[in-house]
Amino acid sequence: MPNVVVCVKPIPDPRHWDRLFLDPETGVLKRAGIPPALNPLDKNALEVALQLKERFGWEVTVVSMAPPDTTKALREALAMGADRVYLASDKALAGADTLATAYTLAQLIRKKASPFHLVICGNISLDGSTSQVPAQIAHYLGIPHITHATHVETEDGQLFTITMNIKKGELVFRCTTPFLLAVTKDVNLPRLVNVMGIIAAETKPLEVIDARELELDLDKVGLKGSPTRVRGLFIPEIKRRREILTGEPEEVAEELLNKLHEAGVL
Amino acid sequence: MKEHEGFWVFIEQIEGKISEVGLELLSKARELADQKGTYTAAILLGDFSKEDAKKLTHYGADKVFLFSDERLNRYCCLAYSRLITPLVEREKPEALFMGATPLGADLAPRVAAQLETGLSAHCVDLRLGEDGILEQIVPGFGGTMMAVIICPEKRPQMATVMPGVFKKSESHKKGEVIEEEVTLSGEDFIPEAVEYRTKKQKTVPLEGANVVVCGGYGMENEENWKLLEELASVLGGAVGATRPAVDEGWAPEEVMIGQSGKIVRPKLYIGAGISGVMHHVVGIQDSDIIVVINKDPGAQFFEVCDFGVVGDAEKILPALIEKLKERFSS
Ligand SMILES: Cc1cc2nc3c(=O)[nH]c(=O)nc-3n(C[C@H](O)[C@H](O)[C@H](O)COP(=O)(O)OP(=O)(O)OC[C@H]3O[C@@H](n4cnc5c(N)ncnc54)[C@H](O)[C@@H]3O)c2cc1C
Ligand SMILES: Nc1ncnc2c1ncn2[C@@H]1O[C@H](COP(=O)(O)O)[C@@H](O)[C@H]1O
Repeated sequence: MPNVVVCVKPIPDPRHWDRLFLDPETGVLKRAGIPPALNPLDKNALEVALQLKERFGWEVTVVSMAPPDTTKALREALAMGADRVYLASDKALAGADTLATAYTLAQLIRKKASPFHLVICGNISLDGSTSQVPAQIAHYLGIPHITHATHVETEDGQLFTITMNIKKGELVFRCTTPFLLAVTKDVNLPRLVNVMGIIAAETKPLEVIDARELELDLDKVGLKGSPTRVRGLFIPEIKRRREILTGEPEEVAEELLNKLHEAGVL
Repeated sequence: MKEHEGFWVFIEQIEGKISEVGLELLSKARELADQKGTYTAAILLGDFSKEDAKKLTHYGADKVFLFSDERLNRYCCLAYSRLITPLVEREKPEALFMGATPLGADLAPRVAAQLETGLSAHCVDLRLGEDGILEQIVPGFGGTMMAVIICPEKRPQMATVMPGVFKKSESHKKGEVIEEEVTLSGEDFIPEAVEYRTKKQKTVPLEGANVVVCGGYGMENEENWKLLEELASVLGGAVGATRPAVDEGWAPEEVMIGQSGKIVRPKLYIGAGISGVMHHVVGIQDSDIIVVINKDPGAQFFEVCDFGVVGDAEKILPALIEKLKERFSS
């Protein structure tokens, strides 16, 4: 059965980001007790895959790399309609930057989700926010990639027409499978999970796979396989006048305009 | 590692028109190279002549590596990366920068993976550490912190940098253009870029505006949003927005300001109903004067303002508009 692979990243639920804090001693970010959620754009990626499944009868395989306690969030992908999830999870994978993450995910796709027609990613993750992982997965799989996709069209499931948003304009690409696609939120509106989906998800396969089973080169994964390092963190110091004005709207408006005039910007 | 030398910049162009960000980065590369006593280089791909490429030396390039070919005028990741990667392997620069634009963000990770080196995204500053290692400043961790990212062992050190963070400046140094051979076959032009469409610009462009009036989630509704537009029009400025305001549909995505949007440096920035999270602040911190309007006296944004008005934007903005109109008519 032809496969469409979706890369889904569990992230700390953005609704609880006020609970994120930095350990002042170690400089490590603490996610204390924040429940995992699916990266929003990855739901758009999944929606593209599910629509292809409905049209062409493909199977939708979700791959992910994350700590094992994220399986609950990944069940949501199954409830939306994915057929199975493979989660790469291992201590050896911790601390990965985008290169090590992409290498690991590509290896997972090779081992468990091949052959495939398409690999679909979100264009950016809310927490990592690099936009780098998709193109790097494509490199390791040896397939072309198209990112920043706003429209995805196909007649036959082989030749695709993809629109890439490049801000000043749009580039329209034609590409035949296999290739990797990274989508923006303009591409579709992800479906909501319904009760039937949740029930169905309970019996769908969700397999957690360790580094050994993936036959990874351990020099290329986790912190060890990551060329970048965080040298430090700082709170930027911005020196400003910080004159605070209070009072009735008319008064403060007048006062502000006087100040702006003095400062030479009016 | 000693053998890696020189600060390089990929010059982005769209349909033959060179983007500003490449020139901005070239000026920064010039500065870093001077600090370190080394050279700068630009990589240019497209339908350009030697004379076109020579112009890049006016922005600080000691060397311009030119891949001149009509087929390269339109971006294609595989073709671009298959020319850039071997060149970088041959010449061994210590750093390579690209714009944190859609094209840069599409190309840089592929090139970095081919070179098996590190890449940091959306940098807002670049500097040299005491040990000569490039420190790449990235806003991170929920937007409250800046992270200093380094790539200690692999070379080149790669970064994509937000447009607008560096100023382009002209340089009087003389540089040379090196023409590179373009050896590509049809298989390198996958995916095939079949069409380019320009987008209609609906709003006053934020870039280059002297006054930017920006609204956040605290504007509460579309009605109030119109007040920002009115204020901007009285001041002859442009309207910007924070991410939540864009998400609400009050403003188009193109005017989002901050880490994942635009970076502006107007003479006057006025932010209303904005909490002042770093994600947004990095996009405005180089403004000459920052005015913040927020009803919460404890709002974080007040920490980084020149003038802060504590109050309801729904009331303050009409008062401002009124008084400005009076001033301008008298
Ligand atoms: C990776 C990443 C990248 C991001 N990139 C960006 C980016 O590029 N740009 C960006 O803007 N955001 C970005 N964000 C989002 C950012 O973290 C904040 O969520 C956002 O900037 C907050 O927007 P806000 O200030 O409009 O809303 P809020 O944080 O909700 O603040 C609203 C403020 O309005 C005040 N207020 C409410 N009512 C009124 C009233 N009537 N009058 C006056 N004041 C009022 C409140 O006191 C409050 O301070 C990013 C987030 C992430 C995770
Ligand atoms: N750990 C991960 N597991 C699965 N997919 C990922 C992971 N990290 C990144 N991705 C994919 O890459 C996209 C972009 O992520 P990023 O490069 O972190 O901005 C995400 O939307 C996902 O589709």
